[in-house]
Amino acid sequence: MQASRARLFKEYKEVQREKAVDPDIQLSCDDSNIFKWTALIKGPSETPFEGGVFQLAFSVPEQYPLQPPQVRFLTKIFHPNVHFKTGEICLDILKNAWSPAWTLQSVCRAIIALMAHPEPDSPLNCDSGNLLRSGDVRGYQSMARMYTKLAAMPKKG
Amino acid sequence: MVSDSFTTAASIPSAPNTKNLGKKKRINRSAKLKQCKFDARREQWLSQGAVKNKGCNDGRDDVRNPLMHMRKGCNGSLEKLEMRISGQENDGLIHQDSDLESTSISPTSFNCGVLSSNDSGTNFTGSSSSSSSSSSGGCFSGNITEEEGDDGCLDDWEAVADALAAHDKHQNLCHESPPAHEPVEQMVSPTNGLGSGGDNSKHESARLVPRDPGNTQAWSPDDAFRPQSLPNLSKQHSLANSDWHYGGGVPWAATAVTSVPSSCPICYEDLDLTDTSFLPCFCGFRLCLFCHKRILEEDGRCPGCRKPYERDPVETEASVHGGSLTFRLARSCSMIERS
Repeated sequence: MQASRARLFKEYKEVQREKAVDPDIQLSCDDSNIFKWTALIKGPSETPFEGGVFQLAFSVPEQYPLQPPQVRFLTKIFHPNVHFKTGEICLDILKNAWSPAWTLQSVCRAIIALMAHPEPDSPLNCDSGNLLRSGDVRGYQSMARMYTKLAAMPKKG
Repeated sequence: MVSDSFTTAASIPSAPNTKNLGKKKRINRSAKLKQCKFDARREQWLSQGAVKNKGCNDGRDDVRNPLMHMRKGCNGSLEKLEMRISGQENDGLIHQDSDLESTSISPTSFNCGVLSSNDSGTNFTGSSSSSSSSSSGGCFSGNITEEEGDDGCLDDWEAVADALAAHDKHQNLCHESPPAHEPVEQMVSPTNGLGSGGDNSKHESARLVPRDPGNTQAWSPDDAFRPQSLPNLSKQHSLANSDWHYGGGVPWAATAVTSVPSSCPICYEDLDLTDTSFLPCFCGFRLCLFCHKRILEEDGRCPGCRKPYERDPVETEASVHGGSLTFRLARSCSMIERS
């Protein structure tokens, strides 16, 4: 409990100090609860998510460095490894491949990498997974781009 | 307690006391002055005797330091010791407060004095002022209790000052030896803090005991108090000491072992000397012993390579630092048992 809090404080300081280092990630902590974080990540370029800004919600357990944080998308995203309704993310490092050496910042980076490299063989979004598994990259990309425009881009006008 | 003494002062304006009030005030003023001087001298003594005094505080400080670096109070018996100490420190503080009050409203204040002497529970039979001078805080109340309604406040303070002077010399003599074994202490402490701590306290008591016959009342009841009855100063001292220790220790480690992170990548706490020489996994991922312990309790995989930790850490490291490693683990175990 105390250890997780101390570590999160340190991470918070780190984030404040190195804000400019990774312009694709904007990580911020809930004002009243250090165990609740949100992040804004930019969709990686040359993917259907380019130009979109996606919001992530972190819920950090009390055993945090030893247990992974729970992360989900608050922004709708069409991605085989993200549950379309709940925003749950299927990512090995958030489950059994978690290492205490990871930070919230590195989790964000991993999620960006996941957006660029979907894993259709362990899908949470079956529609998206099926499109990729059947080789319909074009269909997948157009669907994903559409949802990016609908949900992750500032409304025009 | 303060309000207590005020109320008693207000409620018992008995005849003999009111008579002497003017005189009392004057006396008290000078007494306060004396006390100011005394405090100043005590400060001076403490600062000049910082090195010498270290002999006494050494045990606690040195044991505390590695713990402060590790941030976890995983010390079994030491914690008890510290708790006892802090308790006594608190006592001392309280007494001092009450003393300030009681001296400023002296004649009726013996209630307060009695109270505080009861609190402390140790028999301050000594009206001999040397006791108060030597062990500051707690003992004043003893004096005041003895005085009760007496006018002897001023005399007593003078005696305090005299005794202080005498004691300065005495203590300087007494503390001649500690600096000699202090450096050794500093070197040894990070690896076997507990052992040295125990050692030291023994030393301390051994050093304190022979003083008893010299001034019977001064030390006997509160030998254990003596270093602890300088609460704030000893704390500051320990902090300063830790800074010094820290400043000295870590750069050395950094130069000695290259490419070692200065802080644990898991808890982000600074790695101390033991941690920096601790290599639990062949992949070279370093972390503090506390985190290593916690990981062993959970899934037991190295955070760097996610391979399960070997039973024995890297051979060479184990042979060199095996003793300290097992020692640390034992301590954290004891902590877990207690919690």
